[in-house]
Amino acid sequence: MNTLISDNFKMALLLVVSLFLFSCTEKEYVYEIAPQDILPVNSEKDKDKTKIQYISILYTNLFRQAMSPNDMLDALKAIESVGDKQIAFDILVSKYMNTGEVVLPSNEEMRTNPEKFVRDLYKRFFVRQPTEAELTWMKNYIQSRPDALPEHFYFAFATSNEHFHY
Amino acid sequence: MDRRKFIKKSALVTGGVIGMPYILPSGLLNAQTTPPMTEHVVFVLFAGGVRQQESVLQRYLAGSQNEDIEGNIMYNLLNGQPPEDKIAYGTDDTQNNIIGAHPIDPILQNSLESQGTLFPEVRFARGGAGHFNGLSTGVSGNYYITQGLRNRPESPTIFEYLRRHAGFKATDCWFVGVGIGGSRPLLNFSDHPDYGRRYGGNFLAPLTTFGEPGQKHFMDFKNYHPESDWETIREIRTFLNNNFAADGLEIPHLYNSVDEENKIREFIRYMFDKVKQDQVILPPVNDNRDLKTIGYAVEVLRYFKPKLLVVDLTDIDVCHSDFTAYLKNLHRADHGVGFLWREIQRIPEMQDNTIMLVMPEHGRDMDPNPIQDLNDWYAYDHSAGNENTRRIFSLMVGAGIDAGLRIGGSENPVGDASDITPTIADIFGIKNQVKSAGLLDPNARSLFDRI
Repeated sequence: MNTLISDNFKMALLLVVSLFLFSCTEKEYVYEIAPQDILPVNSEKDKDKTKIQYISILYTNLFRQAMSPNDMLDALKAIESVGDKQIAFDILVSKYMNTGEVVLPSNEEMRTNPEKFVRDLYKRFFVRQPTEAELTWMKNYIQSRPDALPEHFYFAFATSNEHFHY
Repeated sequence: MDRRKFIKKSALVTGGVIGMPYILPSGLLNAQTTPPMTEHVVFVLFAGGVRQQESVLQRYLAGSQNEDIEGNIMYNLLNGQPPEDKIAYGTDDTQNNIIGAHPIDPILQNSLESQGTLFPEVRFARGGAGHFNGLSTGVSGNYYITQGLRNRPESPTIFEYLRRHAGFKATDCWFVGVGIGGSRPLLNFSDHPDYGRRYGGNFLAPLTTFGEPGQKHFMDFKNYHPESDWETIREIRTFLNNNFAADGLEIPHLYNSVDEENKIREFIRYMFDKVKQDQVILPPVNDNRDLKTIGYAVEVLRYFKPKLLVVDLTDIDVCHSDFTAYLKNLHRADHGVGFLWREIQRIPEMQDNTIMLVMPEHGRDMDPNPIQDLNDWYAYDHSAGNENTRRIFSLMVGAGIDAGLRIGGSENPVGDASDITPTIADIFGIKNQVKSAGLLDPNARSLFDRI
């Protein structure tokens, strides 16, 4: 009796162990690709532009022409004289916008083809294409805000953190 | 719960609430315990390297040019009669072609010395007597023995202490610099990792902002509507900045709030209008950069009523090559400080509610260099290691300051150049927090603790 029970028990135990050992038979595929971190498209821009670089690039982006060395030096002095650089840059861009010489697309152009407007903006100021999410947000913003002007977008891009980095 | 337990628990909770530090608008814990002595402080860094001999000691030409003529050419600050001979420090007599012949009339009826407390013999104890070392010691309470130009102070500035520990707004704290040279734009916050730009003070070099560079690149900037235009710009910019979320990679702003940014922008527009109309408030005599800077400092005081304004003057540094011009500019610096104090009393929110501190950033050599000016007087440098450069003074005047008090003297120096930061901290009730940070010079003490 004892032997019989013992044999049955051993058989059951063997069956359970076998189930555990051979039940997961799905094959593990190894694709031999190194793991990759997914980073934002602008993640490599991790250095500040010097103020001279920023002013020079800003001027070229707004006026489509180079700034004279004397003008650049004076602009640099003006920027240095105000401690909060966001305020200083805002005033500088406001001044340039008031010259009437900034090269801007018309409101009609922006609203007729918002995608081209947005792609041009990213290329001009950030030297890259927008992501789909950025493109969608910008197009929605243009469509939902009839008062938004190309000048507002140019101003925001020109004084954004990404434009100050490379 | 029985009555005894209830009382015990209530007492514990109440004690806990009182003792618990509270959260400041800046989001930081604060343990301020001392009420401020006054609402406003103005600190004048005076004024480019001053010799004791021509200032506190009132020796005029006797201490420098072997001319037996003594007298006080800083009669707005100090008690004492002016020189009676060889007057060369005033405004020019153009008719008779005499340089500096007419002393400038005093602005104050009673000198600041008679209204306040003077420490006539203070030590600039460590490091070389360079302008940056002097200015940064003044605003940070620590010396920089090895630090060069183009670096921010290593220890926190008084602006950072006040913003972090007293919860001051950015526009509560201003450094008005006489220019952008000498790394002045780097003095509004330090590189210290626990403080830094997040707690920086606003900086303005008005002669540049409103001078030719600013007139070319700032003046007549577009007046965007604060709600429609700015709101749109900010919405788009916020989206862009949120997509550029790398930590700390931002345009180096000073954490002014949106309202503060708008106010600073409007101040700059307002000042350009005043410049165009020639209506900037200026001292009666305003023929050098220091006096014009003081005029703009008064404009900042009137517009923002800041809790702390630091203004630095520098024109007496001409002493390197022109002793006569040094005397003239020393006399003008005194004129400017007298004007500043008078104008403070004309601002209702600051009248009788402000303490002003005056301290040279360092002294100047005992012996002259070989350069002679039009009067054949010798010029003076400020050289490393010259003991005379370590001799300065400190003056404080205003609400709650003892009048007519003189602490120390030539044979008994009292005070250190690093004292101003703990003094201002003391005035605003955060002396203990600043001391606890452990970043002051070991000799730094509040001037109130030296009386």
